Amino acid sequence: MSNDSTQRLRGDLLVILRHAPHGTSWLREGLDAALVAAAFGRRVTLLFMGEGVTALLPGQAAGPLGQKGTAPTLEMLEMYDIETLLVEAEALGRFGLDADSLMLPTTAVSQGDIAALAASHPLVLTF
Amino acid sequence: MLLHILNRSPASSEVYRQALAAMGPEDRLLLIEDGVQGAMPTLATCFASVRGRIHALGDDLEARGLSTLCAPEVEVVDMAGFVTLTEEAERTLSWY
Amino acid sequence: MRYGILLMGAPYSSQASHSALRFAEAVVARGHRLEGIFFYHDGVQNAARLAAPPQDEPHLVDAWAELAREYDVPLQVCIAAALRRGLLDEREAARHGKQGHSVEAPFELTGLGQLVDLGLRCDRLITFGP
Repeated sequence: MSNDSTQRLRGDLLVILRHAPHGTSWLREGLDAALVAAAFGRRVTLLFMGEGVTALLPGQAAGPLGQKGTAPTLEMLEMYDIETLLVEAEALGRFGLDADSLMLPTTAVSQGDIAALAASHPLVLTF
Repeated sequence: MLLHILNRSPASSEVYRQALAAMGPEDRLLLIEDGVQGAMPTLATCFASVRGRIHALGDDLEARGLSTLCAPEVEVVDMAGFVTLTEEAERTLSWY
Repeated sequence: MRYGILLMGAPYSSQASHSALRFAEAVVARGHRLEGIFFYHDGVQNAARLAAPPQDEPHLVDAWAELAREYDVPLQVCIAAALRRGLLDEREAARHGKQGHSVEAPFELTGLGQLVDLGLRCDRLITFGP
């Protein structure tokens, strides 16, 4: 994403998701905050950064003990009017992933764009 | 100008790289808690790209016996200084 | 300025709650208004009514309650995060058929929407994570 279009991307809340599914509750709890904000009519931008990009891998399942996981919630993002899903390009590279093979349509942003994103949202939450 | 708060040591966690990646050219970095290890001279090299824009919380350095081991380029602030940094920044991002 | 604090670390296990408390005190000392503290993730443990640290160690639960009373600061605990972790007030305990309760005033179980509200309402929202 060019720096220009990143700077034009404005919302009320930027939620940065840095954790993978299942291992901890961070991804789940970060997503819950994003969903609640959207449900209250706020414009939400989601940025999957670092391990967070693996949250978008297709074919995820519930945990071995029946833990729900986050894939079902992610599939519902459109219903919540959260359309802006960004993924960190460098993280995709590190994990050998292709944006096209992720479970949802996303836009790749480079690390250099993150500062502008943070600056253009009045509230930023990191999880 | 944004303030980024890092509470983990670069010796044990890679989150400092994420903080640095997200920092804009005017942004500032504040090391707190175990993050103050990053103020030690050999570890402060991790933060070379933000030289002049990096601070460490004095209370946390003191508690860890690091007051005399703080690299000169890291500015030590007290709690009031921490609040001041947040006043001066438009918003704060925490990396933990 | 209006400040809000998001606290996501439990007392004792990490330094997050200690840093958050000291920051909160410094905020009011500088004359700012502390609009609220929101407890999420393991931060809900800061509301644990039955916490009984040794006498010579900081009592975070009491310290938050004192700060709330002295400066009229709402202490909002995410209800979903709290219930999962066994932090229930009298009403929730009754609702779930549990004996005893682990959260009481001034801590208040509330929805996650209050975090978003706090963050957008304040001039500054500072997150303390574990």
